[in-house]
Amino acid sequence: MRAVFSGIIHILTHLRLSGSKRLIFLSAILFFRFVAAEQLPIENLLERSYLDDYYSNVIYGYRIITETEKYGARYTGNSLRCSNCHLDAGRRRDAIPLNVAGMYPKWRSKNGRRNGIGLRIRECFVYSLDGIMPPEDAPEVMAISAYISYLSHGETIGEAPEGRGVPTIPDTGYDPNPASGKAIYDQKCAACHGKGGVGIPTIPPLWGIDSYNEAAGMADVKRAAGFIWANMPLGQERTLSHQDALDVAAYINIQIRPGDPRKYKLLKLLESVSGIFSR
Amino acid sequence: MALNRLPEVLPWHPRNSTNINYSSELFGALIGAILVIPQGITFAYLAGLPPEYGIYTSIFVTLFASLFGTSSMLGGPNTAVAILIGVAVAPYAGRGSPLYIDYVLMLSFMVGIIQLLIWLLRGGRFFMYLSPAAITGITTGVGLILVLSSLDGILGLSTSGTLFFFQKLYLLFDDAENLVNPYSFSVGVVTVVTGLVARHYKTRYAILIAIAAGYLCGLLEMAQFPHVDMELELLGYLPITPLPLSHPPVGTEYLLVGLSMLPDAIIISLIGLAQSMVIVKHLRSDTDQPIQPDKEVFAQGMANLLAPFFSSFAGSGSFNRTAVNQSLNIKTPLAGIVSSGIVLVVILVLGPVLTYLPMAVISGTLFLVGIGMIKTDEIRRLTTWRGELAVFAVTLLSIIFVGLQTGLVVALVLSVLLFVLSASRLELQVEHEAVSVRIRVEGHLFYASIDQLSQLLKRHRSENVILDLSVVSYLDLSATEAIAKELTNRNNKQTFFAIQLSSPRLQAQFENRMLGEPVQFIQQTQT
Repeated sequence: MRAVFSGIIHILTHLRLSGSKRLIFLSAILFFRFVAAEQLPIENLLERSYLDDYYSNVIYGYRIITETEKYGARYTGNSLRCSNCHLDAGRRRDAIPLNVAGMYPKWRSKNGRRNGIGLRIRECFVYSLDGIMPPEDAPEVMAISAYISYLSHGETIGEAPEGRGVPTIPDTGYDPNPASGKAIYDQKCAACHGKGGVGIPTIPPLWGIDSYNEAAGMADVKRAAGFIWANMPLGQERTLSHQDALDVAAYINIQIRPGDPRKYKLLKLLESVSGIFSR
Repeated sequence: MALNRLPEVLPWHPRNSTNINYSSELFGALIGAILVIPQGITFAYLAGLPPEYGIYTSIFVTLFASLFGTSSMLGGPNTAVAILIGVAVAPYAGRGSPLYIDYVLMLSFMVGIIQLLIWLLRGGRFFMYLSPAAITGITTGVGLILVLSSLDGILGLSTSGTLFFFQKLYLLFDDAENLVNPYSFSVGVVTVVTGLVARHYKTRYAILIAIAAGYLCGLLEMAQFPHVDMELELLGYLPITPLPLSHPPVGTEYLLVGLSMLPDAIIISLIGLAQSMVIVKHLRSDTDQPIQPDKEVFAQGMANLLAPFFSSFAGSGSFNRTAVNQSLNIKTPLAGIVSSGIVLVVILVLGPVLTYLPMAVISGTLFLVGIGMIKTDEIRRLTTWRGELAVFAVTLLSIIFVGLQTGLVVALVLSVLLFVLSASRLELQVEHEAVSVRIRVEGHLFYASIDQLSQLLKRHRSENVILDLSVVSYLDLSATEAIAKELTNRNNKQTFFAIQLSSPRLQAQFENRMLGEPVQFIQQTQT
């Protein structure tokens, strides 16, 4: 990059342009340098009649994220969509954005293994979507990988992008209290998610057989609280206090939900099979 | 022209067939539907498509092939066609990706168009040239390919790459403990062993029994070990809709890829039609159904042309399901038409149950189908005749070592070559009579075979010759010219030369081409 710039400056000195003209020329070059490198927004890609293998996979991945029940149905077990947590199809910061391709492979304590982006995606299907694990080379996994690397364009490899994951709630000095969480839930959340947490079409269920299972990332109270504090209620983000967010998260996560597939094997199987027939 | 072809394009109607036995037709439809579901899923896997596309193929291709057909032949997903689709589209897009599916739909559409063109050119009869030896070679080769590709799923190998088979075997021997997934291996072995045992007792339903056993084994494993650790690949939920409308893609970019896929499309349409025509030939000789082979070509073309509009890929006639049909005494296309409806109903009910079916079971059935395609008794019968054996061996070897497409072309060329060779061989008999030599000729007299005769005539130039062509039914220009040339070289003063022909028509043809040479004809004597 530096070599390119020094080259351009060198040419400019030879062109003998005046100072202001030189500035305009340089900014024009910079503009084209970055705008040309900018990727097409997904809405433009959607309008195209023909896409090559990469971009058609990006679009397929986008569709799986936003319409999981239609495009990702093969491996999902509940009625959640990826974009229920990865808000704005994984493009909103502090809502578990998906521009994280540069951070993999990395070691995760969850499974005690070195995780590639593929394994990370496959585990999302098992835990958050409470479904079955897709094979490594499943077209769905490939498509979501393509979409993630599309979103990660411009990020630095090995560095966490800004607004990655959810914000960490600072220590409030109090334990999360599900009882006060219920009061806040009934007042602020139940209007959309329903008293029983079952959700309505386009609003995800928060607990019950159609929600994420006990091993999902959201089943962790601190992480759920961070998500709720930063993104909920939709349109009035960051209006809850930190303690309120912790209480609501605790209330949601003490409810009944599908079991951990690593713990209850036979029960999990029966639960999944019964879940299939209720679809 | 368009009007007198009308009866050929009309769909089947109950009045086309007499004495329909409705109860046996409906029972046959039910059996056909149950048998086609595992085939559909398996062959979709072979073609690199999501399983629901195989189900749609077994619904809609079966429906259209029977609707426009005239026989009890069942269409639907086919092994060789599925493999070829996978091989053809793989270079252009990743398996199962949206672009891949677009290309498969386009390829199926092209196959349909090519088959309809073959129908328009009345090309159906050319498939009668495919010799039984070549067909045995093709089925054996496809069987071996199936067995080898099923190893991927049975052993749980993560690579779906198209490795050459001994590379795959070498990798397996070299690094078995790291590559083989014990969970999917045990499921696969249970499936295969059950299938092989069940074949001895209930041949027809062996595959279904094997699938049930493999599924049970998979469920037991899932009840014992966590799914995340096993990495046992499962079929997954099938999002089936009753009317899965789609269309082949349009656009200049697709057109360019389509042009480069044209050779594959031609091969696929030829192999699809060849298999269907072999079945039709069998049915015509074994039953008294009112079968029109040309109409069957049309039916196959229409089925493949319409397939991409219903999320299906190209197919062809199915040997094993047609054989089951025949054993159930099915005589009309009604069974196929009803069967596709039954598949839809069964899969809508059964679909959720199949979600936890391990893919190793699917691969196990592939293995069983592959083993079943290698028919040792047929191969042993071939060993009695050298020419047929050579065609079989060359076809098989080129399928294994060069690839299925090349092997198919080789099979076609070799069969035609074998036919030409046998046709150009003349049976010549020299009988010495009182004053002359009688040369009896059997076979076709044409440019390729005439040399044999003219060499013999040259040897008898100084004698009186009666050329007995009374059993020769075909004479071409170069043959008559060669005989005329021989006449000019003979000494006509001292010896005589007479030709005995089978019909006055040939005699007229002969005189026209004799270039004014005097020749003596002996009329066929009535005996």
